[in-house]
Amino acid sequence: MRIVALDSVADRLRLKRGQGVAEARAMHPQLDVLPADPAADQAFLSALADWCDRYTPLVAYAGADGLALDITGCTHLHGGEKALLDDVLSRLFQLGVEARGAIAASPGLAWALARFSTARLSDDSVIEAGEEAAALGPLPVTALRLPETLTDTLIRLGLTHVADLMEAPRAALARRFGPLVFLRLDQALGHDDEPLSPRRPVAELSVERRLISPVSGEDDILGLALQLATGLKTTLEERGEGGRQFELLLFRVDGKVFRLLAGTSSPLRDPQRIAALYKERLAAVHDDLDAGFGFEILRLCVLKTEPIKSVQDDFSGRPDQSRALADFTDRVIARFGEDVLSIAVLAASYIPERAASLQPAGDAVFPAGKMLQAEEWPVMPVRPLRLLTHPERVEVPAADVPDGAPERFFWRRTAYRVARAEGPERIAAEWWIDGEDAPTRDYFRIEDETGRRFWMFRNGLFQRERMHPDWFMHGIFA
Amino acid sequence: MAENAVPRETVLALRDAIARLERDRPSGSCLPSLETEGERAGFSASGRSLPGQDVTRQEDVLPLGVPALDHAMSGGLPLKGLSEIRVAETRDAGAATGFTLGLAALCQARRKARGELGPILWISETMAGQEAGEPYGVGLSLLGIDLRAALFSRPRNLQQALWIAEAALGFSVFSAVILEIRGNPARLGLPESRRLQLRSMGSGVPIFLLRQAGEEEASSAHLRLLVRPAPAAPFMLPDGTMLTTGIGHPAFHVIAEKTRAFSPVDAYLEWSSHARRFHPLDPVAVPLPANAADPVTVLSASVGRPGGAPTLGRVMAFKRAS
Repeated sequence: MRIVALDSVADRLRLKRGQGVAEARAMHPQLDVLPADPAADQAFLSALADWCDRYTPLVAYAGADGLALDITGCTHLHGGEKALLDDVLSRLFQLGVEARGAIAASPGLAWALARFSTARLSDDSVIEAGEEAAALGPLPVTALRLPETLTDTLIRLGLTHVADLMEAPRAALARRFGPLVFLRLDQALGHDDEPLSPRRPVAELSVERRLISPVSGEDDILGLALQLATGLKTTLEERGEGGRQFELLLFRVDGKVFRLLAGTSSPLRDPQRIAALYKERLAAVHDDLDAGFGFEILRLCVLKTEPIKSVQDDFSGRPDQSRALADFTDRVIARFGEDVLSIAVLAASYIPERAASLQPAGDAVFPAGKMLQAEEWPVMPVRPLRLLTHPERVEVPAADVPDGAPERFFWRRTAYRVARAEGPERIAAEWWIDGEDAPTRDYFRIEDETGRRFWMFRNGLFQRERMHPDWFMHGIFA
Repeated sequence: MAENAVPRETVLALRDAIARLERDRPSGSCLPSLETEGERAGFSASGRSLPGQDVTRQEDVLPLGVPALDHAMSGGLPLKGLSEIRVAETRDAGAATGFTLGLAALCQARRKARGELGPILWISETMAGQEAGEPYGVGLSLLGIDLRAALFSRPRNLQQALWIAEAALGFSVFSAVILEIRGNPARLGLPESRRLQLRSMGSGVPIFLLRQAGEEEASSAHLRLLVRPAPAAPFMLPDGTMLTTGIGHPAFHVIAEKTRAFSPVDAYLEWSSHARRFHPLDPVAVPLPANAADPVTVLSASVGRPGGAPTLGRVMAFKRAS
């Protein structure tokens, strides 16, 4: 067992990462050792990243033990860079997290300073432009985010500090160690560009409310959501757009962040309807939403927008039909999920189960474009009202002729006598999908003595494709 | 000491309710009587029916075009409120589905005539779809349902199904809501059916409770129909000749179990998907199965006429079947 991480007390005892636990225990018998749990660490880091969303929407992971926040254009909201950093660190301290931070012009430099700066915290952790080289110089080469073997080699050669690398001749070192060393150096100094990749897509629009006293009641949250949605309305109107996907972020006092996604079937900007959407969402997640001591920040983001056609109401006084329908769809989907509502979509296929399918109604309730209608089919076939999801095996003890309709059959352990039969309707397999030896189906429409009408098929042609083809029940007629 | 004065509005509201009850026909009577030609033309002999009343009645009911049933349902299918349609066995579900969808198609056609979209919502419990088959778009379209205005819902449990049904009844855009359940679940008892009934009365969206393999039980529905499969009439070729081996339009045997009429009424009818309407079907014209061994054993459904002596009194409400 080896040490993977140390807290600050252990650090002061001059223990090292990679050291054996037995050795460390021998040095300090009172040592407290906890087994490492990378998955839990990652979950904690991700929760912290959620928490950091309060400062900027661009939060990225920086290795397995850090976060990088792109605060371009956000600092004035928090009273400047220094104030922002102090705020982050003091809040994290109150949450019981021992954190170090630095603000610099490049992610590489901030990374290095936060981890290796020997200066006391909050002394010179904000690096102004032009001071990069001076700040980076005294740091060890490990601060350059290089592979461990490379760092070891550099240290063995006596290049222990970044300043040594900066002074060394570039061409010779690059030839020996590859381009990575100087790429990292340039990135840290800001000579080379290094983009941050945020964990989540940045919302198109977002509004937030910071509360002095936290709220926990569902009605309060809904009221605030309505206010936030009202705040969004003007911007959406200016852009001529409506939101298709909304996200409500609830920042709990103790740092936990809840995200409530809600999609709509048509672009939406009416605050009342957005709030109504969240009424359903809150009801649906009711048990999972633990308000604890309350929420201190609420933010409403629009993740996806679409142009909205402004429609003038007519004088008939009737509510707009498609809008009411979209409203219903959104409410149901917000509450129960997307697969609860569906529409029937027809496709050009002769195989019955491929000719029609139920597809989620979420995206657009009734597509304005042309939908295939059964009347447009070249021949008007006879098709059942209900189709069994999987055709069910039917026992046919007797048929008129081997390739004719059955006279009697057993389905679901019940015997039926056939009174009349229509068929066969021969449907060949789609060889380009099913392969060339897929059996042909002979469909019969069958009426039993009491008048129940069924749709059955014989799977395979008698003696040509199958010796004794099986029968299947596929649908039920009116 | 003087009693608390009842507010005037309450008294007026109660009076109004009593007047409405008295004006309404007592239970058991059907349509006032068959009108004479003169009355139908608008010449009311006795002044018994006000012209305005007739108009509202016409708007609230959907005549099926089958005299026996329309008469028992006082004019037609009520368009406001809950109507239950049940089948005794799962394997008969096809007939009930066809009949219900026929009704829904009629409702949709009515809305479309007014220039509205008139979408239909079909809520189907998971088990119902698994047992009797999922709705099949091509078949529905051929029956006369406009797929561009049909929504299908597959909730995970009955509670969700009821929620969706209630929510849909709040939107008057829907031309009909179909709620399909299996058996007699305890979760759908009198209070729940009453809620649906009231919601539907409020918004004017009819809701059809399609009950697969269920017993008759007390509910708030004004109307309960039992649907049985019926042999279809022979297929008619375009030139008018009957093709005896063919299977014609979907046919149903509908028994009105719970109406305002004294005794249950039954009728054979068929749905013509081309004309999009029901036609009465003469049961005599329904051919007996050709290969039935003994046609005499096939008895006509005895409806409301049990073999023994009739029990005294009238069943007002059935026990809970669940």
